[in-house]
Amino acid sequence: MKGRYEDENLKWIPFLILAVFLLPFILKGATFSYKYYLYILNMAGIYIILTVGLDLLSGFTGLMSLGHAAFLAIGAYTSAILVDQAGLPFELSLIITPVIVGLFGLVIGFPALRIEGMYLGLTTMGFGFIIKRLIIALSEWTGGSAGLHVSSASILGYSIKNDWDNYFLIYTFVIIAIIMTRRIIKSKLGRAFMAIRDSERAAEASGINLAKYKLISFFISGMFAGFAGVLFAHTSHFISTDHFDILLSIFFIVMILVGGIGSIYGAVLGTLFVVLMENMFIPLFEDGLAQVIHIESGELQAFIFGLIMLLFIIFQPQGLYGMWLKMRIYWKLFPFNPKKRFT
Amino acid sequence: MSDLLTGLLQESVSGIALGCIYALIALGFTLIYKATEVVNFAQGEIMMVGAYINFFFVTQFSAMAGELTGWVFLAALFCSIIFAVLFGIILDYVINRPLKDEPVFSIIMATISLAIILRSLTAMIAGPISLIPVSPFGDSTIKTAGIVISVLDLAIIICAFILMALFFFFFNKTRWGIAMKATSEDSEAAQLMGIPVKQVYRMVWVFAAIVGVISGVLLAPRMALLDTSMSFLGLKAFPAAILGGFGSIPGAIIGGIILGIIETISMGTLSFHFEWIKEINDIIVWIVLIAVLMIRPDGLFGIAKVKRV
Repeated sequence: MKGRYEDENLKWIPFLILAVFLLPFILKGATFSYKYYLYILNMAGIYIILTVGLDLLSGFTGLMSLGHAAFLAIGAYTSAILVDQAGLPFELSLIITPVIVGLFGLVIGFPALRIEGMYLGLTTMGFGFIIKRLIIALSEWTGGSAGLHVSSASILGYSIKNDWDNYFLIYTFVIIAIIMTRRIIKSKLGRAFMAIRDSERAAEASGINLAKYKLISFFISGMFAGFAGVLFAHTSHFISTDHFDILLSIFFIVMILVGGIGSIYGAVLGTLFVVLMENMFIPLFEDGLAQVIHIESGELQAFIFGLIMLLFIIFQPQGLYGMWLKMRIYWKLFPFNPKKRFT
Repeated sequence: MSDLLTGLLQESVSGIALGCIYALIALGFTLIYKATEVVNFAQGEIMMVGAYINFFFVTQFSAMAGELTGWVFLAALFCSIIFAVLFGIILDYVINRPLKDEPVFSIIMATISLAIILRSLTAMIAGPISLIPVSPFGDSTIKTAGIVISVLDLAIIICAFILMALFFFFFNKTRWGIAMKATSEDSEAAQLMGIPVKQVYRMVWVFAAIVGVISGVLLAPRMALLDTSMSFLGLKAFPAAILGGFGSIPGAIIGGIILGIIETISMGTLSFHFEWIKEINDIIVWIVLIAVLMIRPDGLFGIAKVKRV
């Protein structure tokens, strides 16, 4: 009997989850510098939680946001203030902070009811700048431009000290986030989002309350970002406004685009791809190249990053997930492939 | 009181000059948006490349001529514009052509990656040291009624208005301009009507590159140092373009001037008289922008598009 998710092959999911939790042990056995890799994977995990939420907003509801770094910043600072200065337990902050950030999502969602397309993207960008300035202005709580040190998290009496513990904490939440977004997409809510993306007028004519669902989309997306912010603050132990730059917002969009916009797995793949490429493959490649030509390394890294992005968008606009789908169809039909389909 | 007034007037004038720079960058956005509905995030970078190229030509020619005369600057400007034409054609081939049938979103991302590439490439070639650009007009100023205007600012304002008028005329009166308008409306229908859509696109990118390079040439001497951070002005020109309504040429210049004046005044005189403005002067343009968009979602001069299901 075919189940609820007949279009997907679900039998691999438990193995994938198992693999995620076995990965640190494999890394520890395989390399000496496993702590560095874990740190990068943790970053990727935090970003995955955010980009999955961003995909709900930009990929599924069709509302472009260039201000998600601001949501991440609000989450990080709120949690830091709640835990360190108000003395709340970390578990409570995990619940309260996403709601607060979700409310900020509503704040930016209200103008979004009237503003569309590119205008919305740039309005959210302006929101990002304003939030950044606000954080610096409220230096009494946030430490201003000097940044803020954040304590380690402790969950259910178990204190989380290093990247090893963080990995399990973060990836548990990553899996929860992915499952949650999948459920949202398959529900009435998700179908309403997609209807709005495909045609606002048609959705409205079919009885979808545009204002309500757009605001819900902003709220949910803000909550995911807030969640990522909490984890970010307590795993990196130091937050400053420099980190939550407009470039980070743009990178988030790049991540979901590289993965394939409008698919949850695409967002996950894209985020992993971008973070790993930026932190691991480019430096490796660079070391070799730097011996041949003597160039400032930071610039070369940005150059290679931009080049790969550009080539990727030109030659693979459907993203990594689209590539995977194409490959799957190719093997299913293997000897009888119509040529036209794969050009 | 008259002190405040003179101060405000003085700052308005330099605000208009700054606003005209914003307007020129916004014009670059507008041109591309008008024909292809793509928002070119690399416009600020094109401007920066233009400034660097012009600097290169100026140093080369002045070394050849042995002195720094007006002809050197003119020749450098001429060569920079030729470079801009080539640059525009290359950008069209690299960015626009391969992505013609893709969603607009992908092309925007392509321009963002282009921005990253251009910025890092410029930094690699030019090196980490900031350059000191030379103004063709020196430090000469004009003084009228207690207000001092530098000749450079005046040149910027005049240039912006001339370019704006040229493009306004071009889009409304010439065959090619109307072809561009038609292409932006519906590229397939335009193609069926016999409009060479590919050439139209190439032309638009060339125009945008020329405007970008000219704005870079004009802006560089206005800044004390020339380095890659100049490209971030491109981000600041977005509110100008949106305020005027993306795709409206008079809107771009008026939006640019409004924001230029707001920014200069809030940084200058007003911040001495009202303490709280100092806190928000770097984001004031965005606050104005969001306020305007709440009331008029298509900008001041934008035309709301009729949407079909």
